[in-house]
Amino acid sequence: MEANTLNRLNRRLLKIGHLISLFLAMSIICLPGLWVVLSSLRPTVEIMAKPPVWIPQQLSFDAYVSMFSGAGRGGIPVLDYFINSVIIAASSTIIALVVGMAGGYAFARYRFRGKTAIFVGFMLTRTVPGIALSLPLFYVYARLGVIDTHFGMIMAYVALNVPFTVWLIDGFFRQVPKDLAEAAQIDGCTRWQAFWQVEFPLARPGIASAGIFAFLISWNEFALASQLTRSTNSKTLPVGLLDYTAEFTTDWRGMCALAVVMIIPALALTFIVQKHLVSGLTSGAVKG
Amino acid sequence: MRRTYLGVSIATVALALSGAGGYAQELPGSFEGVRLDVKLIGGQQYEALYERIGEWEEATGATVNIASKQNHFELDKEIKTDLATGLINWCVGSNHSSFAPQYPGIYTDLAALLPQEEIDAFVPSTIEASTLDGRLVMLPRAQYDVSALYYQKSLYEDEESKAAFEEEYGYELRPPETWDEVKDQAIFFADPPNFYGTQFAGKEEAINGRFYEMLIAEGGEYLDAEGRPAFNSEAGVRALQWFVDLYEAKAVPAGTTNYLWDDIGQGFASGTIAINLDWPGWAGFFNDPESSKVAGDVGITMPPKGSAGEYSAWSGHHGFSVTESCDNKEAAASLVWFLTNEESQQLEASAGPLPTRSAVWDWVIEEAADDPFRKEVLTAFQGAAEVAYPVPQTAAWIEISNAVYPQLQAAILGDKTAKQALDDAAAQATEILEETGEL
Amino acid sequence: MKAWRLPAPVLLLMPAFIVLSAVVVVPLFLSLYSSFTPFRLTRPDSIWVFIGLDNYIRLFGDWAFWTAFGRTVLFLAVALNLEMVLGLGLAMLVEKATRGQRILRTMMMFPMMFSPVLVGFQFKFMFNDNVGLVNNALQSLGLTDQAIPWLIDGNLAFFAILTAEIWSSTSVFAIFILAGLMAMPREPIEAARVDGCTPWQTFRYVVWPFIMPFAFIAMTIRSLDIARAYDIVKIMTDGGPAGRTEILWTLIARTGYSDARMGLANAMAYIAILLSIVFTLIFFRQLAKARQQVGAEW
Repeated sequence: MEANTLNRLNRRLLKIGHLISLFLAMSIICLPGLWVVLSSLRPTVEIMAKPPVWIPQQLSFDAYVSMFSGAGRGGIPVLDYFINSVIIAASSTIIALVVGMAGGYAFARYRFRGKTAIFVGFMLTRTVPGIALSLPLFYVYARLGVIDTHFGMIMAYVALNVPFTVWLIDGFFRQVPKDLAEAAQIDGCTRWQAFWQVEFPLARPGIASAGIFAFLISWNEFALASQLTRSTNSKTLPVGLLDYTAEFTTDWRGMCALAVVMIIPALALTFIVQKHLVSGLTSGAVKG
Repeated sequence: MRRTYLGVSIATVALALSGAGGYAQELPGSFEGVRLDVKLIGGQQYEALYERIGEWEEATGATVNIASKQNHFELDKEIKTDLATGLINWCVGSNHSSFAPQYPGIYTDLAALLPQEEIDAFVPSTIEASTLDGRLVMLPRAQYDVSALYYQKSLYEDEESKAAFEEEYGYELRPPETWDEVKDQAIFFADPPNFYGTQFAGKEEAINGRFYEMLIAEGGEYLDAEGRPAFNSEAGVRALQWFVDLYEAKAVPAGTTNYLWDDIGQGFASGTIAINLDWPGWAGFFNDPESSKVAGDVGITMPPKGSAGEYSAWSGHHGFSVTESCDNKEAAASLVWFLTNEESQQLEASAGPLPTRSAVWDWVIEEAADDPFRKEVLTAFQGAAEVAYPVPQTAAWIEISNAVYPQLQAAILGDKTAKQALDDAAAQATEILEETGEL
Repeated sequence: MKAWRLPAPVLLLMPAFIVLSAVVVVPLFLSLYSSFTPFRLTRPDSIWVFIGLDNYIRLFGDWAFWTAFGRTVLFLAVALNLEMVLGLGLAMLVEKATRGQRILRTMMMFPMMFSPVLVGFQFKFMFNDNVGLVNNALQSLGLTDQAIPWLIDGNLAFFAILTAEIWSSTSVFAIFILAGLMAMPREPIEAARVDGCTPWQTFRYVVWPFIMPFAFIAMTIRSLDIARAYDIVKIMTDGGPAGRTEILWTLIARTGYSDARMGLANAMAYIAILLSIVFTLIFFRQLAKARQQVGAEW
């Protein structure tokens, strides 16, 4: 009897402890984000106040209103940046997935010479720091005439993401038993049909998880974008953030408002696919 | 030659202005079918002006293609990239007096493309600062920057602290006129961590620029007549020691060596800084209750003098340049003129930034007749503009800044003595100048 | 007669090859070449002057460079390990939660939505000594009456940057480790409990070996992607003050663009690439080992 109560008490304490630590952890994660949201709604005088103002006194959507009110009236071409970002991040993610599927399938299903070396080589392209790449890449792009174009940005991000998508998707295809596809082929399917009807559906969660990673990386990338984009033709949101800094002044509130605009789509997308994301990663990369 | 021309008196400028009417028919001119690629500085403060581009297109029949619009530092990076890859295939670019010497030879002499009267209508010192090796490489827009001293007025009205100050320092408490007075008062007002006497931008070109103007005010020179670094002089040590003393006395925020301009401005607006040497772009911000706690309590005066009696008045300005490789320089020069003419400058200056044409100065001061704060601001900055000087005109200025500022920081933070830090910095700067072939 | 065709794997890998060589490999050769020249951006002709290994030799004697190099290695080692530990804790907390998994997982990934540039600005403001959130909070709570110079003191600045980096990247570890925890079969844990293992022993000998590969994958991804930290450091301190937080990437970027000495900067970058290759290879090794271990059990 005694031991039982103690046990129950113990378990309850553990549970409360767990809830508290979960709450603390989530607060630490979310607070800086909430602070950005709050900063976008408060006048600067309150954000920078000393002694600090902890409880917001006045909230307004001024920063958002002026953000969309066009150049010259405190606005920056957010809509252009937003559209560029969507086009560039979405297309580069899709292309990186297709290329990654082709590559991953090759690594998973075929034997060929130098496989490991090629694989590691792919990965190592990702270790090159942006600064070593930016000027020569600019040079190559300038010769090809794709500076400040969507195409140029999309290609750059595909290259950035391909090593990763190949890796994740490769692991996933390995998971799908070879026999399944072979059985389908015996049943009269072509290899192509077998791929689409048997292997692809099974690998879908892995592809989704590779996709969300690729999307987030393209959506937030700054170093390459600042070098390869120059005008509203192709400037993306992270580069647009700097429009709020002038030579001597920074509009912190405006910047926060733009940050919120940047985060919302990424958050929504993650929320939608997070289920696939976890199950996708679960076995995708590990068994490769 | 240039000297005599710069010596023109205000009267001649006024004369020239009235004469400029004759050229109005020729400018902006007609450039049917011409297409100009331009690179502009982006950001809210700068973009209102670009709506005027449409008017110029209508007036001349030419079209303008904005090939790029970037933040100040990104634009600098971009122009260097273009230079390196041989891609100067555009006509008009935004430029800045501190950065201009880095792009040797890519910009053409505007004096050859525009009537002299138009050029004479600008404030002479800005034209001088825009002239490199005898070539007028840029035409200044109404984005002129020189610093003036902002302070919290109420601090100087409090009888108790007035008495206490006079008791301690032996002279009356009033807005400072010399750097020694700034030091006394900053230490007097400071109450860390809640309140600081003053602050300074502590890194990159910002601290080097502040050190440079202080050096001039102390009677030193940054580069000597032969272009050799000369800032490790006695005047240099005095200048740097000012920063060190304030830091040691905790009269400036402890983080000041990591501050850039935006931190400085936000700091003064937060009401925790007594005296603040800062740029004109902040005047409206400081006096706006939406953004600043000291709104209504902001006083402004000329920048202080150093022990040599010189003002510290390092200045810079934005402008537009025409490239040497441009196919249609006349059209490009016309656009540059249009974006810096009286109407354009009035448009920009009405939002707060300082003009660079003498007539527009008069205009803004007249406009501010009913606004005592704005009038005080304009008077202080006009005074500062008259004694202002640009950074040393060496292509390596930014590179030297990058080598010098960590040394200045080391002295301020107490890692080295002022003399030692300056000697080390001078050695590095000399090395840079030797490598670039300037020495 | 059958038409001659490229073998399937070649065909399949072709797109990846083309993209990677156009965007990475070719530019890389260009920058390798320029590291053997005194190339200055503002003097385009200087790219034709070949000076052999001069840039590298100069770097070998450059104390500032090696200090930055050492600091970078230390930064990486500390950041990656702490991120792994914290990610593990976070993942276990989330995995234990009985309700609201979907929301929790999304929240857990929240920092991944923040562009590193933004993370830099955000933490720079938070750690501001005068009006920053951290000092304000500490002073309001009465924990200190000093303005702590977070971004000035060498150690504190290192800590501040580390905090920003860890905040932004722990998610990557957490999400992978969470995936591992969820894939973990229940039986071994039950068996361990029946055998009378303490929770710690169960974790150490049953759970950890299972999730280790996941942790290493995250580690590899992070080490591949580590240069992201550049954006954060650049904005928070840009290597200062007085070089106290200089890391390789800030040094390279300043030398290359601000000073316009691209040749020298590229030589530095090549030494930095070697560093990341070493890190990456180590993790790949570990990963392969861990996979074999798990593979045996599966």
